[in-house]
Amino acid sequence: MIRFEHVGKDYAGWTAIEDLSLTVEKGEFCVLIGPSGSGKTTTLKMINRLIEHDRGRILFEGAEIRSFAPEELRRRMGYAIQSIGLFPHWTVEENIGAVPKLLGWPRAKIRDRVTELLSMLTLDPERSRARYPRHLSGGEQQRIGVARALAASPSVLLMDEPFGALDPVTRDTLQAEMLRIQAASGTTVVLVTHDIDEAIRLASRIVILEGGRIVQSGSPREILASPANDFVADFVGRSDRGLRLLAAERVGDRMRRGETAAGEPLTVDASLREALSLFVARNVDRLPVSDTSGTLVGSIHLADLVRTPSPDAAP
Amino acid sequence: MKRIDPLVPAALALVALVLGMPALKPLFAWMFPDQARPLYEQDSFLSLTLGHLSLVAISSAVSVVVGVAVAIFVTRPAGRAFRPLAETLTAAGQTFPPIAVLAIAVPLLGFGPLPALIALALYGLLPVTEATVAGIEQVPSGVREAARGIGMSPAGILAKVELPLAAPVIVAGIRTSVIINIGTAAIASTVGVKTLGLPIIVGLSGFNTAYVLQGALVVGLLAVVVDLAFDRLGAFLDRWNRDAGAKTA
Repeated sequence: MIRFEHVGKDYAGWTAIEDLSLTVEKGEFCVLIGPSGSGKTTTLKMINRLIEHDRGRILFEGAEIRSFAPEELRRRMGYAIQSIGLFPHWTVEENIGAVPKLLGWPRAKIRDRVTELLSMLTLDPERSRARYPRHLSGGEQQRIGVARALAASPSVLLMDEPFGALDPVTRDTLQAEMLRIQAASGTTVVLVTHDIDEAIRLASRIVILEGGRIVQSGSPREILASPANDFVADFVGRSDRGLRLLAAERVGDRMRRGETAAGEPLTVDASLREALSLFVARNVDRLPVSDTSGTLVGSIHLADLVRTPSPDAAP
Repeated sequence: MKRIDPLVPAALALVALVLGMPALKPLFAWMFPDQARPLYEQDSFLSLTLGHLSLVAISSAVSVVVGVAVAIFVTRPAGRAFRPLAETLTAAGQTFPPIAVLAIAVPLLGFGPLPALIALALYGLLPVTEATVAGIEQVPSGVREAARGIGMSPAGILAKVELPLAAPVIVAGIRTSVIINIGTAAIASTVGVKTLGLPIIVGLSGFNTAYVLQGALVVGLLAVVVDLAFDRLGAFLDRWNRDAGAKTA
């Protein structure tokens, strides 16, 4: 879907991106993470040519990005940023419909798409569509920002710390919605963050950058289980690593299918970290597990959390 | 209860004064008993007002077109280098008193409306340019980045994002420029243009305070009416920032 081949970027006197090669496959949720100045935002913005690269090649769906006009390229990619950047003089409907309008969709089709997106992001379409951004909360504004990025069903969604300015509760909700939307639409996502917990929660692949270079790339579990060097180990948190490892796995992958246990069930898509929290809070060593519709499907034991994955499942 | 819009009585008073000045003759005769001719009657106040307004309208239109164009140019990447130059030139335009511009322009261009138009247009340029630059610059960088990021063209960003968001500030600059020009246009009568400055200048040279008062009253009221009208326009352009959002229940 997106392919970096030995890409470099220099700013007067210093090198922001050294020699970056990276392939983001279709349907991946790729999270770029690193400290400030590591080049993660530069890498993201080179994809839609908000920043032009100096060396190497970047391919989008097999074609070099320089073969597209920048505007055409950007209209095919969703873009959401931390400062949201909603157009304050446009209503919610006009904001979300911005890209479809640029692409010349008929009015009725834009309207239907706006309704669909507002419902998908748990906003009431009839109450929200005619409002101006300043009358919305921060969380609602970022929902509109995400809806605008998704409006024309882009094959790639680029997000630059989209949830960074939100309060923890709202951030948590939006992360959950993002996962749901990504799973449902199969959109390829490239997201920049400096929050390792966000990366573990959202990513199918984490790319850790430092000083304009990729230090490690892999699934959250791979990175947590075997950090490539001290920098990565520090970055993923030495003492919290175990907890983060639990956060990277779903209850559904470790549960004992068919067994039962007493109490309020966990869902299969809860993380093992949530399961651990529940074991401690309820003072039990086994919990029932239900599927997303609420039907009991099995149980999970406290010991299952530390069970070594079977060799064929190991990274 | 709705508050009465002050624009309505002010505009009515202006129309009444311009059309009904002859009816006030007894009042001026009573106020200035020593004057043989207490009312300026060489021209109708309607023709003076229309002359005044057309001079202001043309010179302000030039100020707005040139001022906004210069401001747009110096806020584009290609024009950024010219910004200090443009600021110096527009500031110089306002530093020169219009009367000095007239003094220079008349020997070159002769009497009539042209030197007056040039003097007024130069004088009104600075507020428009400054306000347009300020208005475009206060567009939040996140909004501009989002506009680029979703694939708007540079011209589209200017027309659909920057100018509409800057409009209230630009209109405030135009308002200042026009109000200054309504007052300043009176001096154009010194070079033979028929404006509301004519009774003032005739009155001053002939020691007829009544004439001065009549001209000044209409100019003042005209400025008030135009100012209130701009206030309405500014509020309209800024409506997304004020009203309570959704109208639908």
